[in-house]
Amino acid sequence: MLENLQQSLEAFDLALFWEYRAVLLPGLLYNFYVFFLTVGVAVGLGLVAATLRLSSNVVLRWIGTGYAELCRNTPEYITLIWIFYVPPLLLSAALDRNVSFSPLLAAVIALGLASSGYFTETFRAGISSVPRGHIEAARALGMSRSLTMWRIVLPQAVRHMLPEAMNQMVSLFKSTTLVSLIAVPDLLYQVSLVSNATSKGLPLYSGAALVYFLIIFGFATLAQRFSDPWRQRSR
Amino acid sequence: MSEVGVTSTGRVVVKVVDLHKYFGSLEVLKGVSLEVHQGDVLTLLGASGSGKTTLLRCINHLEQPNSGEIWVDARPMGFRIDAAGRRRRAREADVNALRMDIGMVFQQFNLWPHMTVLENIVEAPLRVRRWPRRDVHERAMALLEKVGLVDKKDQYPSRLSGGQQQRVAIARALAMQPKVMLFDEPTSSLDPELIGEVLGVMRALAEEGTTMIVVTHEIGFAREVSDRVIFLHNGLIEAQGTPEEVILNPTSERSRQFFSKILH
Amino acid sequence: MDAPWIRTVWRHRDVMWDGLVVTMQVTAIGFVGAVVLGFVLCLLVMYVKPLRWPARVLIEFFRATPIYVQLLWVNYVWPGVLGWPSSFFEAGCAALAVQSAGYLAETFRAGIEGISRGHVEAARAQGMSSLLVMRRIILPQAFHTMAPSIMNQFLVVIKSSTLVSVIAVPDLMYQALRLTAIWFEPIAILSCTALVYITVITCLSLVFKWYTDRLRERYL
Repeated sequence: MLENLQQSLEAFDLALFWEYRAVLLPGLLYNFYVFFLTVGVAVGLGLVAATLRLSSNVVLRWIGTGYAELCRNTPEYITLIWIFYVPPLLLSAALDRNVSFSPLLAAVIALGLASSGYFTETFRAGISSVPRGHIEAARALGMSRSLTMWRIVLPQAVRHMLPEAMNQMVSLFKSTTLVSLIAVPDLLYQVSLVSNATSKGLPLYSGAALVYFLIIFGFATLAQRFSDPWRQRSR
Repeated sequence: MSEVGVTSTGRVVVKVVDLHKYFGSLEVLKGVSLEVHQGDVLTLLGASGSGKTTLLRCINHLEQPNSGEIWVDARPMGFRIDAAGRRRRAREADVNALRMDIGMVFQQFNLWPHMTVLENIVEAPLRVRRWPRRDVHERAMALLEKVGLVDKKDQYPSRLSGGQQQRVAIARALAMQPKVMLFDEPTSSLDPELIGEVLGVMRALAEEGTTMIVVTHEIGFAREVSDRVIFLHNGLIEAQGTPEEVILNPTSERSRQFFSKILH
Repeated sequence: MDAPWIRTVWRHRDVMWDGLVVTMQVTAIGFVGAVVLGFVLCLLVMYVKPLRWPARVLIEFFRATPIYVQLLWVNYVWPGVLGWPSSFFEAGCAALAVQSAGYLAETFRAGIEGISRGHVEAARAQGMSSLLVMRRIILPQAFHTMAPSIMNQFLVVIKSSTLVSVIAVPDLMYQALRLTAIWFEPIAILSCTALVYITVITCLSLVFKWYTDRLRERYL
């Protein structure tokens, strides 16, 4: 019992976490680094796929839908491992020279692919939420197709999809913790290094959980605050 | 409560004594007393905000009154007297036991959307009364026959018109074989052309001698069917008596204004 | 893909199958645990005033912690503090359950709060007890609105279950990584594994979609 209690206290002794801040902080920054790169990839791919899904061509529409479904229905971990190992081998065979992906590159591609599936769906829903009548009204006033898109469709679509897009950003940030699995030196990776070296894993893992929780909770709360007024205005 | 020119022979089914009800600081009922005898049809009239719906909801304890007493079939509703003679809040089970004897029909029908028409009707008789399945089903079918909806028994409520839904809701309440039926503006959310079918069912019930308390804006129905009418104004009984006395020959200024607006 | 590559996978199909069985076990136990825990948390938040805040904090903590972090935390910290879980398998299940419980608690709460007051009053007016109202009126109705998110959460659990391989639970992912390390044929092994996951998840999501559409058609 007493031993248990002591262990419990040790598990939440965050002083150790603070002691190793010089190693851990850069790890956390790495999470943000991966996050920002991945957001770019995911939003870009998501926009392309959403455009395909909304195209009038059946084949293109199917490609867009298939892509989004494939991305969403694959576990992120397997995407990560697959991207890390398989394409470099295929490329090596094709180009007849040694190709390999750095862990960071593989991580950004894999997570970008995985979450682009969700962004596709969000963008598509946002754009098709704009009533046809609004577009027709703009066209009837003589606005060009691109002007209509720019002034009528996008402002409404963005308003509509912003809350969902923010949720997805939050999920994406959570996913960045996976990159330690292919040795990208993020916070969790550093924690496992330090805990192996010091054999004091408990407070480090608790600390990591707490840090991630605070960041993501804060992030999610902010997203909520920020998107509520938007949601109301779009009604 | 004085009986103003009404010949009531049956025993008292619902008795309300000096009922007060607040919503926050707003006093909605300011001391209402009334009695309903077996076989009576009592109609509550009044402008919106006069407290008539609240009064009805107090009777089956969907609203808890702040003071006053309600007796249903000579049993206290929502309170009990403990051994020392003090008034206490009733146990939930006691309230539920009394509610079985009070049928209620809502303005919004409130049929359960995940059950078919028949399932809606047999739910409480089976699970609350614990009556045998065969009897319950037989009686449910008879009730559906009565409200003219036998062919809809396996439909989900969303497929029915408002009038049909309300008729099912009436059958559902009757299936418990209540001692009194409460109707809370049963036709107010119906399209005009559907009101007749619901009033028809209610009229038939009244003729069979069902004890009913009806909150409604249908003055014609009140005149024709009620034994007694109470006109509520600002949480107080402003006038009561037979339909002729209250509606056709109103004595108080307020009821004169109210009824002249509606009748003409 | 060349035939010899595929042969490696085929030769070890029994190992892969064992892995898939473990994946299914972890997923099922984790999901059932999540439903139970999520429902309890939801009831605490809604109906038990003194425990409302502790339950809220747990829900938010579960929701806002990445599954991988949760897994490591449960695996390394819980045994010392709580004396449980005692095996990697249990730790994997617990982490998956805890992760989804937060989401499901929120789903349940929204579903229950979404039931119209009138439907509950109609039941109360017929003398139904609170328990009966919950069981017969609220939960079945709420289920229709919650079904899509519950089923989606099941897919999330399958996807997250790949991570239990990190703490040496021998699921499909674990076997795939082990075979890759032994035979070094990542193209065949990893692609086949991915294909298995994609097939299972896609089929399930199609079935779920069909089911929700049917529910909607029936009642709305």
